[in-house]
Amino acid sequence: MKLLGAVFVLSELTAVITGPPGNPTHPWIGFHGSIVDQASFLGLFNIQRWIAFFIYGLIVSGAVYVFRTQKQFIAQVRTAQRSVTSNKSVKITTSIATITLVVLLPTLVADPFWQNAMVSQIAVYVLLALGLNVVVGFAGLLDLGFVAFYAVGAYATAWCTGALPLPALFGVHLNPFYAIPVAIILAMISGIILGIPTLRLRGDYLAIVTLGFGEIITLFANNLNGITGGAMGTAQVPHFSVHVGPVNYVWGIPPVPYYYLTIAFVGIFIVAFSLLEHSRVGRAWTAIREDEVAAESVGINPLKYKVMAFAIGAASAGFAGVMTAAQTNYVTPATFTLALSINILVLVIFGGMGSIIGVVFGAVVIQTITMYLIHNPPAGYQPQDLYIYIGALLVIMMIFRPAGMIPARRRSRTNASLDSSQG
Amino acid sequence: MNNLFEVSDVTLRFGGVVSLSNVSMHQKRGEILAVIGPNGAGKTSLFNSLTGVYQPQEGVITFTAKDKPSISIIGKKPFAVSDAGVARTFQASRMFNALTTFENVKIGAESHKGIGALGAMFRGPATRRDEHVSDERTWSLLEFVGLKDRANVIASSLSYGERRRLEIARGLATNPEVLLLDEPAAGTNPSEKNELTDLIRRVRDDMGVSILLIEHDMKLVMALAERLYVLNFGSVIAEGTPDEIRANQNVIDAYLGTASEVETDNA
Repeated sequence: MKLLGAVFVLSELTAVITGPPGNPTHPWIGFHGSIVDQASFLGLFNIQRWIAFFIYGLIVSGAVYVFRTQKQFIAQVRTAQRSVTSNKSVKITTSIATITLVVLLPTLVADPFWQNAMVSQIAVYVLLALGLNVVVGFAGLLDLGFVAFYAVGAYATAWCTGALPLPALFGVHLNPFYAIPVAIILAMISGIILGIPTLRLRGDYLAIVTLGFGEIITLFANNLNGITGGAMGTAQVPHFSVHVGPVNYVWGIPPVPYYYLTIAFVGIFIVAFSLLEHSRVGRAWTAIREDEVAAESVGINPLKYKVMAFAIGAASAGFAGVMTAAQTNYVTPATFTLALSINILVLVIFGGMGSIIGVVFGAVVIQTITMYLIHNPPAGYQPQDLYIYIGALLVIMMIFRPAGMIPARRRSRTNASLDSSQG
Repeated sequence: MNNLFEVSDVTLRFGGVVSLSNVSMHQKRGEILAVIGPNGAGKTSLFNSLTGVYQPQEGVITFTAKDKPSISIIGKKPFAVSDAGVARTFQASRMFNALTTFENVKIGAESHKGIGALGAMFRGPATRRDEHVSDERTWSLLEFVGLKDRANVIASSLSYGERRRLEIARGLATNPEVLLLDEPAAGTNPSEKNELTDLIRRVRDDMGVSILLIEHDMKLVMALAERLYVLNFGSVIAEGTPDEIRANQNVIDAYLGTASEVETDNA
């Protein structure tokens, strides 16, 4: 009974927090709206908000109760799961099914909002999460300014295609396809420039410096009016197009062709990064992450590999920048905020640091939830409430699966201490 | 020159604390040399100075690999010292806990090759050949230290004695001239100690790798070492064969204390 009361109070508190704001003349309208407004219950039927939130609360506390009391049962389920997922034919079937689903998805999803979201809000975020996963997950470096590389990629595209006040890179207005290598290389170079001086730092210090770097790039974009177009940015980035012999194709407003293009590159990055993970370079990253002093003692140059992780992670962010710039046609500094850096980090942490499948899963799930809330907002939902929901999701994930939804195989439970060896 | 390490007048300070003062020593090629001394005497500081982890303020440390010119260790980073042919283990074993035993050793075996991110990504024939060589080397070393059947176990689940052997294998994988062992017998039981003594001797005899050893276990030290240095309060107080050291009055005083002296730990 006490538990039920607590759940009730917490749920209704959440309902009030996420409800509509009050106003000075009718301060109580916010509360009133929070409690009795109609809300769609998971889009199934409409009920009053207080009932909807109470049901959510009951579901969550039920899950906690089951988890607490049925530990043994859950452990059994997990081992069964593991023995199934380690089976090779199951693995192959699952991946074929996933690929088929991904390819057929645009035919299943007809809503133009979702078709657009699949490209600009999900596929692009998958790319960003994959890139940040190399830095945070593989090499263990906390980067809070990852959005800077995304910005470099987007502005490089605008530069190559002649959309900036700055004269176009090669004098001609190029198709964004040619911007891909330029953007990737520029993003990698900025990764190296940022990395060489800062990667001597560890942990929190590195996080602060990278955070500063992200802000610097945004400030540059905002204020270098003659180069970047200032706060207005540019809206003239052309679409992708192919003109080879008889083939003339222009990617345009419809998002589906962009979907396939982005997905193809997501596939390439996934394959490249997983090959890298299981190579000498991936092992060296793990070694540095686990114990830098020991890694150095067996001849690994930590700075070299860390800079490499920055550059390689930046490459996929740079590519994500190209996709965004070409698909939406515009590039503005307002896109590249600290909140976006943190958002990407959330995708990586939620999915499972260091696990490629995990971060892809995390990016898809979190971005889908975000888009769902924007597209079908529950009654009284405010855009700024988003982080309450995402935050709650992260807290629940931290309780039940602290290593992420799909944890990496290669991550130790204990943190090796970073101090140097003592005598 | 036949000396592997040549240390002369090395002084290492941390602010006002003098960790090593005017230490001079040398190690001959192929020798099993031990450094002993009470807690806080500066043994591990000496190790860290020899491997580039600490940078002594004064003195010279030269290292001469076989058929190569002498190099100065001071001013070199640990990975460069490792490249030159110095491998080490740590007092509290430091493994890559998230990786398997096999991968731990393999990292040592492949760390001195070129980086090649692209090669690693696309698996050209050269990369595959390299991988094959590293795999072979890793297997033979695991067999050498007796961890072959534990190859696919996550390193953090190994026992204390197994961790010591893993660290030795990982050090040997870098193809060193000399292996520095920092208290390899700490936390091992008597039968593991005997195995370890045997293993260390085999490293020298079969692989031709010189050994520099820090150890508190006198039985192990006296059984293995051909020559010893005794450190106390950062200075060398004695040098000689095990028998000479056992009879040395300075050493006995350092370990047991004299009537006028109160021993302090300043580690």
